[in-house]
Amino acid sequence: MSSATPSPDPRSSAHGHHKRHSILPAVSQSGPKPPVQFSSSCTVADSALLTGPHTIIVSTESVIHPRARLESLGGRVTVGRRCIVHERACLGAADLQGRYHKGSPDKDGRSMGAVTLGDYVTVEVGAQVESGGTVIGEGTTVGIGTRVGAGAVVGKHCTLTANSIVAAGEVIPDYTVIYSNGLRRVDKRGVSDLKNKAQARQIDVLRRMIPSNPAKFQ
Amino acid sequence: MFGNNRLPAFHPGLTQSRIRDTTTGNRLWFPGVRSPPSESSPSDSDPPNDQLPLPITPEDLYDTPMAPFNPYTYIRCPCSELNPYAKRTPDVTAQGLSRAAQDDDDHTFDPRAARSNYSLYPLEYLSFCEDCHQIRCPRCVAEEIVCYYCPNCLFEVPSSNIRSEGNRCTRSCFQCPICIGPLAVNHVETPPDPNQLLSPDHAASSHSGSYLLSCSYCNWSSTEIGIKFDKPNSIHMQLAKLRNGGETRLTAKERKERRKEQGGGGGGSNNGQGEEDLDTLLDMETQFANLKSFYQNQLSDANGTGKAGGDASAALGNLGFDAPASLSRIMSLYTGSSSLHDKKSKSRPGTMREALAPSEGLQLASLDETSAITALQDFESTTGLDAYSSTASTTQLQSQTPYLGASPLHGLTRFTSSLRPIPYLLRTKRSKRCPQCRHIISKPESKVTTTRFRIRLIAGNYIPTITIKQLIIPGLTPPPMPNLPPDTIAPLQPAQFVLTFKNPIFESVRVTLATPATTPGRFPSKVTILCPQFEIDSNTDVWEEALKDNNTSSASTSTSQQNLSSSTGPEGGPGRKRAGTLRPGTAGGASLAGEELGPEVGKVWEKGRNWTSIVIEVIPASLVQTAKRDGKGPIKEDEDVLEIPMFVRIEWEAEAPEDEIMPGLSGAKGGNKDGGKEKRELAYWCVLGLGGLRGRCKRGFVCGRS
Repeated sequence: MSSATPSPDPRSSAHGHHKRHSILPAVSQSGPKPPVQFSSSCTVADSALLTGPHTIIVSTESVIHPRARLESLGGRVTVGRRCIVHERACLGAADLQGRYHKGSPDKDGRSMGAVTLGDYVTVEVGAQVESGGTVIGEGTTVGIGTRVGAGAVVGKHCTLTANSIVAAGEVIPDYTVIYSNGLRRVDKRGVSDLKNKAQARQIDVLRRMIPSNPAKFQ
Repeated sequence: MFGNNRLPAFHPGLTQSRIRDTTTGNRLWFPGVRSPPSESSPSDSDPPNDQLPLPITPEDLYDTPMAPFNPYTYIRCPCSELNPYAKRTPDVTAQGLSRAAQDDDDHTFDPRAARSNYSLYPLEYLSFCEDCHQIRCPRCVAEEIVCYYCPNCLFEVPSSNIRSEGNRCTRSCFQCPICIGPLAVNHVETPPDPNQLLSPDHAASSHSGSYLLSCSYCNWSSTEIGIKFDKPNSIHMQLAKLRNGGETRLTAKERKERRKEQGGGGGGSNNGQGEEDLDTLLDMETQFANLKSFYQNQLSDANGTGKAGGDASAALGNLGFDAPASLSRIMSLYTGSSSLHDKKSKSRPGTMREALAPSEGLQLASLDETSAITALQDFESTTGLDAYSSTASTTQLQSQTPYLGASPLHGLTRFTSSLRPIPYLLRTKRSKRCPQCRHIISKPESKVTTTRFRIRLIAGNYIPTITIKQLIIPGLTPPPMPNLPPDTIAPLQPAQFVLTFKNPIFESVRVTLATPATTPGRFPSKVTILCPQFEIDSNTDVWEEALKDNNTSSASTSTSQQNLSSSTGPEGGPGRKRAGTLRPGTAGGASLAGEELGPEVGKVWEKGRNWTSIVIEVIPASLVQTAKRDGKGPIKEDEDVLEIPMFVRIEWEAEAPEDEIMPGLSGAKGGNKDGGKEKRELAYWCVLGLGGLRGRCKRGFVCGRS
C-alpha cells in the first residue's frame, strides 16, 4: 500500500550529474515590484521575494537569503547594516487576519514604515515580522518561527528564541531574552560586541556562498 | 534518592483522563505505534485496505475541532488478578490456566473500574516471561540497575562512586539553573575594540584565560553569579569550592583557625562572649562545624564536672530537654531496666547551655526583608521587566542541589540571580526480572553508548496483535447519520468492526474470544462476536509464502491450514480469502460492491499468511436517551467511549523445552503429544476501544435521535 502513492522523488532522477534542485516550487514573483535602495555591498539572493508598492532599503553588507520575503505592502521596509534575513523569513508580513498594518506616523509626521531592522539583526528561518511600524533593535536575534506583532518595538541585543511570540504593539526593553513560551529575562553576559563581531564574520562567509543578484530587483 | 532518574516510562498510576490529550481527546499512550497491519508491514498478503473507507482526510481535520478517534487495544496484565501473592507454579499448566480463565469468567472485567487503570497496557509496554509463559507488565517486573551513567557525557559511573560522591555527574556536565538547558564551557572573551568592529578580522579573539558556563538557549552564564573557572575541565570540583560571587569556600583548616581567632579560649566554659557581633553571617558548613565543636566541648566539660549535681538548681536543670540526664533517662526507657537499678549510683552530669555566639554556632535569623524588596524594585526599574520574573520558581529552587557553602536558612535568596548550575542527575540502565521465576525478561547492554539489549522478551513477539477497523460495506452499512462527527459511532444502530489478529509466532494459533453480551457500565452496548473461534496461521517466512504463490498445487498440500470457515476451504490458496464472497482471482477491490454479502456468523472475515480477521458487531448505547430515562446524571469521563472488554484465549503447540521431554513427565503433562510438542495456552483480558459514542466536541453537540 505504501508503494502505491506516487510521490515525485527528486532523487530518483538524479542519475545524471544534475545540480541538486530545490524541492519547493519555483519562486514566482507576484505583486508589484517595489522600488529598492540597495547598498552596493549587500547580498540579495536571486530567489528572494520582494513585493509591494513601497521602498525596500537594504543597507551595507546585509544578507538576504533565498526565499526570504520582504513585503512593503504596509509601508517602507528598512534593513540595517550587517543584518541576516534567513530563508522563508518574512519582513512586513500580514497579521494573522491577513491585514497589512500601516505604520503610524511619528512625531514629525513621517511614516514609521512597515518594518525597520537595526544593524546586526538576524531574522532566522521562517520568522514573521509583521508590518506596521515594527522596529527591531540593533543586535537582536529573531529566532526560528518567531512572530513579531505589528507595531512591536524590540530593543537592542534581545534574543527571541525559537517560536516565541511578541504581541502587537509590545515594547521589549534592551537585552531581553524571551524564552520558553514567553518567559523573559535579562541578558547580562555583556557580549553584544562579540556577537556583532561574530555576525560580521558570518556575513563574510555567507557573501561567498549566496550568489547575489541585486540587479534583478532594481 | 534515585527516584527521579528513571527513564521516561509509562505511568500506570495516571488515570485515563489524565493521559488523554486535551485537544484531541485521544489517549496519548502510543504515538503512532499501533497502525493497521497493512501499513506496518509491506507484505502483500496483508488485508486489503481499499474496501475499507479511508478514515478522514486531513482537509476534514481542519474543520473539525478534534482529531479522529484512534481505535485501541489494551491488554490486562495477569498480575492484577485477585491474589498476586498466591504461589504459582513456574510453568502454568493448561489446567491451571483454564481454572484461571474460569475465575475470570465469573466476573466480567470492567475496563472503567478504577483499578483497571493500573492494569491495562498497550501491547508495546508488555513483556513476556518465557518460563512462566505469562504476560508481564511494568508494574509486576522486578528491576535491577545495570549501570549508572551521565546522560550528558555518557560516562559510566561505578556504583562505589555513587555512594561516595552522590548521584550527580562529577565531571563538567551542568544544566542551566534558569531553563535546564545544557551548559557549555566557554572562554571568557575580552570584548573587541569597538573601533575595529566594522572591519571583520579573522584572528581568534583574545581570551583572558578563564572559563565560564553558558547556556545557549536563555543566554545565562556563570558570570551572572560571579563565577569563573581557571580551567575548562573538572568544573564540578572547581564549582564546589566557589561560592556565588567568586569567593572560595573555607576549608576545614581555615575554619578552625578562624574559630580560634574568634572564640579565644574554648567557648564552653565561660558563659558566651556576648560581645561578639551576632549578625555575623555563617555559611552552612561553618555553622555546623561551630555547633559541633561547641557541643563536643560541652559534653566533655559536663562529664568532667558532673559530680557537683547535688543542689536544687542542678536538679531543676536536669528536667530540661537540654540536659544530658534527660536524654539518658529517655534512653534508659528503651534500652531496658538495667539502668534503673543503678540509678542511685549514676553520676549526674551538669547542665548544658545553648550556643550564644556565632563562634559557637549561633546564627540569628534575619527577618529583615528590606534588601529583598529593594532588589525587586531595582530589578523592575532597571530592566523594565516584571519583578516577578526575577524570583526563582519552585521548580528552579527544587532542582538546585544543596550547597554547603550557601548561607543558612534565612539567608537563602529567592532570586534567579543566585541560582547555581545544576550538575546532571545520573541515569540508570535497568534490567527486568520476572517476579515469579526470577528469570531475566529484559537486559540492556551494560555499555552506555549502545542501545541494544542482550535479552528482551517483549509480548509483541508472543501474543497476537489486535487491530481494529470499522467495517463499512457500500450498500449494506447504513449511511452515517447526518450531523454526526466523523469519529463517532451512531447510537442504537448496528456497527461492525473488523478485528485483525496477527500471529507473531512460528506455530499456528487457535484463538477463542469471549465478551459479555453487553458492556459493563451505565450505558450497556450490545456486543456480538460473529466468529469467536478461529485459527491464525503461523508466522512463516515471507519468502516461503512468495514461493508458494508461484506453485499453487504444492502450496495446498504443504500448508497446514485448517480453515474454520468452510467456504474458504476449497480455494485453499495462501493468499487472501474472504468468507462468503470470495471469488478466486480477485484480490478484493472496489468492484466487490455489488456482490458483497457482508459478514456471516461463525465465519472468518478474511485470512492471510499470519493473520486472520473477524467481525464484531456492536449496537452502541445511546447516551442521551439512557441518561434521560434513568436520570443518571451527567455523563462521566470515558463513558462516551465505546470500550469492550474481551477475553482472549490462545492455544498452540510449541516445542517442549528439552529438560521436560522425559517419558515419565510427558504423561503427567496431559497435553504433551509425540515427544517434542507441548500444548500451550494463554488467556488474558483485553479492552477494545472502538470509537466515541457521541460527538466529543465542545460545541455541545448531542447525537441520537430523540
